[in-house]
Amino acid sequence: MFAYIESLRMALSSIWGNKLRTALTTLGIIIGILAVTLMGTLISGLDRSFEKSMSFLGRDVLYIAKYEWFGEQEWWEIRNRPDLKVEYVEKLKAQSKYIQAAAPVTIRTANITRKDEMAMGINILGTTTEFVQTAYMNIESGRFYTDGEDRSGARVIVIGYDVANALFENENPIGEKVKIGNYVFRVVGVAEKQGKFLGLFSLDNRAIIPLGTYQRIFSRRGWMRLDVKVGQANIDDAKDEITAIMRRLRGLHPQEKNDFAVNQQDAFRQQYQTMKIAIGGTGVFITVLSLVVGGIGIMNIMFVSVKERTREIGVRKAIGATQGSIMRQFLLEALFICLFGGCIGIILALGGSFLIDKYMFPSTMPISLAIISLILSSVVGIVAGLAPSYRAARLDPIEALRYE
Amino acid sequence: MAELIKFKGVKRYYDVGSEIVKALDGVDLTINHNEYISIMGPSGSGKSTLMNMIGCLDSPTDGTYEFEGEKVHEMDDNQLASIRNRKIGFVFQTFNLLPKLTALRNVELPLIYANVPRDERLKLAEIAVGKVSLTDRMHHKPNELSGGQRQRVAIARALVTNPSIILADEPTGNLDSKSGVEIMNVFDELYKEGNTIILVTHEAYIAEHAHRTIHILDGCIEEDIKNHKSKTRKKLRKKKATA
Repeated sequence: MFAYIESLRMALSSIWGNKLRTALTTLGIIIGILAVTLMGTLISGLDRSFEKSMSFLGRDVLYIAKYEWFGEQEWWEIRNRPDLKVEYVEKLKAQSKYIQAAAPVTIRTANITRKDEMAMGINILGTTTEFVQTAYMNIESGRFYTDGEDRSGARVIVIGYDVANALFENENPIGEKVKIGNYVFRVVGVAEKQGKFLGLFSLDNRAIIPLGTYQRIFSRRGWMRLDVKVGQANIDDAKDEITAIMRRLRGLHPQEKNDFAVNQQDAFRQQYQTMKIAIGGTGVFITVLSLVVGGIGIMNIMFVSVKERTREIGVRKAIGATQGSIMRQFLLEALFICLFGGCIGIILALGGSFLIDKYMFPSTMPISLAIISLILSSVVGIVAGLAPSYRAARLDPIEALRYE
Repeated sequence: MAELIKFKGVKRYYDVGSEIVKALDGVDLTINHNEYISIMGPSGSGKSTLMNMIGCLDSPTDGTYEFEGEKVHEMDDNQLASIRNRKIGFVFQTFNLLPKLTALRNVELPLIYANVPRDERLKLAEIAVGKVSLTDRMHHKPNELSGGQRQRVAIARALVTNPSIILADEPTGNLDSKSGVEIMNVFDELYKEGNTIILVTHEAYIAEHAHRTIHILDGCIEEDIKNHKSKTRKKLRKKKATA
């Protein structure tokens, strides 16, 4: 036991005696640990914002659209697909046993004005009241429009959080008038803040008007999506059923391919997984590379250290050090050089992840990763220290004492 | 007197490729407790090999070596390390102190390998430093000490485990004559206290301190003589006479 503590003390004092050399040697380890921890931080942050974004999509919502989200078909195969129609909604609801809510959604971009204020590039959604359920939307103040308003084509509008802020700073927007082009709308509700979707576009930067109104003012034709909420437990069954119903509605022969797509959150998830593997793989590659290089550096410096201290080793052996205790001393030295590098790497990574958290997206460095990287650097230290320590342990004391 | 060291036909051959060097070629030697011995011989005579052999740093190619009844010639590396640690104190020509440690820590070193607890280690080390009268300098590093002081630290290190034998290889070789005398006085004192001391030297006046001188030539003992005029003997006789 004392022997271990003493070996430790000797190893530490040797490292302390060669501060600069140790610091330079550990650079590879530092970079390796930095790479693996920062990558972990990055992935954790991406995970978090991805999950947050996914919660907007809803796990149990199917999105029936003209095209697949991440389709791999050639464009000429799918360009002639017909648009979706509003009447599908009622037919789907009538024939499906899974559908809990369904809303047709159509979108265009427009500017919303109020007196001198203008909110530019707002996504104007035309949809029905069931959108509240399919989009998991909460109204912060006011209300969503009613079925009656939808059917009658009332000029009412529910605005997103950012839109409300832009047009009505410190004012209550409910009941106020805004204009899209020349059409005047009355604000009936403000949606709760939702944040950005995958950091790409904001869900607070939109306004929702009744589908009836939308079609009267803008267009009855064009792009449309059907958002269908089914029970989470049945999502796969529901997907099959809805695909079947859609095929029937479209009058497709069994041999014909679908001319529509039933999308779900999983599509994003798969894309994301692919990306994550790419990021992770790159990180692991850099880490392994720099740890190997760092390990070789440490092996080299340990060989130098053994050479330099040949006489010391001779003395220690003469006064009773066993091969084991010499081996232990040098192994611990290599181990601590690596652990030292690992700690510096983690400290730098903490700083880095703080910056990522502050300037990129919310993230934290996973503790488990810090521990893993410390273990990793210990392993590198031991592996790199083995050969030099073995050489030190096997030195012939007579030769070593004679060494100049 | 009990037998401390017993060599019987000890041979040590080195195979240097083209030929076999016979560093020791059949040495028979018995050393008893509380002897004061000097080993002399020209360079290449095998005296270093003999010293390494006595110090359990080397194993014989042939022959037997018993140290207080323990069969050294059959020992493996760890057992040799252990016997060096417990039974043998080394003093080198070049002191061989660890430069980064203070005098006290240098003296403590063998006790670390003997697995002595820290508090006890420091106590024993301080006693050993006291024996070579360096208590006031024990917290200095070797480079802050004079040559004579360094060698005294080395002697304290050799003493600290209370070994059966102190093996000194040219202990005054790197010292000026004044420090040399000082160091030899320390050895004389240690001998009087009952220690067994073996000096390896090629200086006749150093060898005079010992009461038995072994001359080595070509790997064999050429001469093994009692030195009745030894300085320590004289002193001892004086002491006895006065007593």
